[in-house]
Amino acid sequence: MKNVNLRVGRVLRASTRGFTIGCAVMQPDIPAFGSFVRADGATPHSAIYGLIYDVSLEDDPFVRQFISANPPEEVVRDQRQNRQVPIEVSVLTVGCADGEHIYHCLPAQPPITLDWLYQCDEEEVRAFTARFDYFRLVLEARETPADELLAASLRFAAAARPEEERAGFLTEAGRELSRLLAGDMVRLEGLLRRLRAEMLRAGKSEAW
Amino acid sequence: MGGEMAARQHKYDSLVKLARRWLEQYAGQGELLRQPAQLVRAAIPTAEPLNFHSPLPPLPPRFTVVAADGSQIQPDRHGAVLYYLINIGSLVYRHGSGEAPLAHSEPFLGYAEEELYEDGLLLSGNLLDLRRDIAEVTRLADLCASEPQGPVVALVDGTLLLWVLEERSEEWQRTQVMRYLDQLRRIRESGATVAAFASRPRRSEVSRLLHLASVDGDAQRAVREANPLEHLPDRAIFETLPPGARSALFISPASVNQNFYLPAGQAVHFFYLNLSAEEEEPVIARIEVPAWVAEQPDQLALVHAAIVAQARITGDYPYALARADELAFISAPEREALEEMIATSMMRVGVMPTPSPKAYYKSLTRSGRRRYGR
Repeated sequence: MKNVNLRVGRVLRASTRGFTIGCAVMQPDIPAFGSFVRADGATPHSAIYGLIYDVSLEDDPFVRQFISANPPEEVVRDQRQNRQVPIEVSVLTVGCADGEHIYHCLPAQPPITLDWLYQCDEEEVRAFTARFDYFRLVLEARETPADELLAASLRFAAAARPEEERAGFLTEAGRELSRLLAGDMVRLEGLLRRLRAEMLRAGKSEAW
Repeated sequence: MGGEMAARQHKYDSLVKLARRWLEQYAGQGELLRQPAQLVRAAIPTAEPLNFHSPLPPLPPRFTVVAADGSQIQPDRHGAVLYYLINIGSLVYRHGSGEAPLAHSEPFLGYAEEELYEDGLLLSGNLLDLRRDIAEVTRLADLCASEPQGPVVALVDGTLLLWVLEERSEEWQRTQVMRYLDQLRRIRESGATVAAFASRPRRSEVSRLLHLASVDGDAQRAVREANPLEHLPDRAIFETLPPGARSALFISPASVNQNFYLPAGQAVHFFYLNLSAEEEEPVIARIEVPAWVAEQPDQLALVHAAIVAQARITGDYPYALARADELAFISAPEREALEEMIATSMMRVGVMPTPSPKAYYKSLTRSGRRRYGR
């Protein structure tokens, strides 16, 4: 993750629980599933934080022509770079900020149409994930693949930290999940397994 | 209705058979038919036998296809303000480069008095179509002039023959055609070739030529005696072309071609081309080229092969033309956005945009009907 605020696109539609943005072209730097993003709030210095939980490409009859035709490279590049391929990115709202504090709760108002959505930089991700209260908002979001989303967000949050802090961060996240999902051992086990994989990727093998 | 359609198909099949038989029978009579063909507006034969066909030529590893297409918003005298818009879309496709083609749209908004009227006539309908056609070919000439050295094919959709209003004076017609031909000349000077592509062509000029041949090339008899092939499109005759092959070259008998293009050394020639690949149903297109392309075998071969290569990307229509059309197209929401921008700019200077009463009430009645009760 780079330490720059990349613009992902502009808000198409929004509600308190989440919003969708549109962008013309899939850029390599556009945040992936589970990335932390931010939109400006209604008042100065306020912000709304979210997690990308879906990236979809709209159907295009012209592109359909080439699906089974093995098109030349020039056509592939034309379709990807020149044509206005409509891409929609769906975001689950997981917090907001008033300029001083970050809150893991739904904002008073959603972002409005054509607001810019930015990818959070590492500092913002570290600040937002200093606490784990947003877990509940993700775990209760039925419209999203919640467990996958939470695991992916923790991977980004770990990557935003120095290497020596990553395993400790993931261990703390696992403990929080154990508290939240104490009544649902099957779900907890699945999530912990995913976190364990992240820890292995982070170079540490100790498990819970 | 089913019986009627079956009978019609049977008649059509027998006419196609007759036309193909005549094509073989009179294949060598091109020279004899050349003069009378002009009198009956039939396809004018060239030196190639009528049943000649040329296989798909090889292509250079790298070549460029430049396509342009246009669309327009007609001026609306009931609208809040009188204006027109011509939008030219273009695509520069460099085969073999692996690069993204260069896509471009160039709009022109005409609203000033001198832009809206020509000789006191509002620039609308066919007059505006004429402006669009000239803008398309001008854009092509500009793009060809800026292309690096190498084989370049410029493509327009439809025809190279400018449709000029015959009720206008000959001098006026000549001026319009010369503006168009000047741009074709610029394309030639840039070293590029140019062609027009017509999908599913409906012209019957070769059919008319075959009927002329069947009455011994007698133009008076051809006019007098009913032509059984009158409504048979030429493309039906050429569906037997092998995949990728082109037909013989013919010269267009259109009066604008004979009156203006021919004396300028740019007589429009045409041929039919089977775009399909092996073991596919034939897809016949009509390709027009000016004389300076038709008379150069290497340029003609480049046009032939490049169009087949372009059409086979999509299956049956040149990719670059499809994209140029897409880039030129003005959608209804885009038109609405433009009209909002025009209205805003008028209000900024204190002018209230007011549509005519007719346009106003249409906007009310067409905005969606509601029904109360049953």
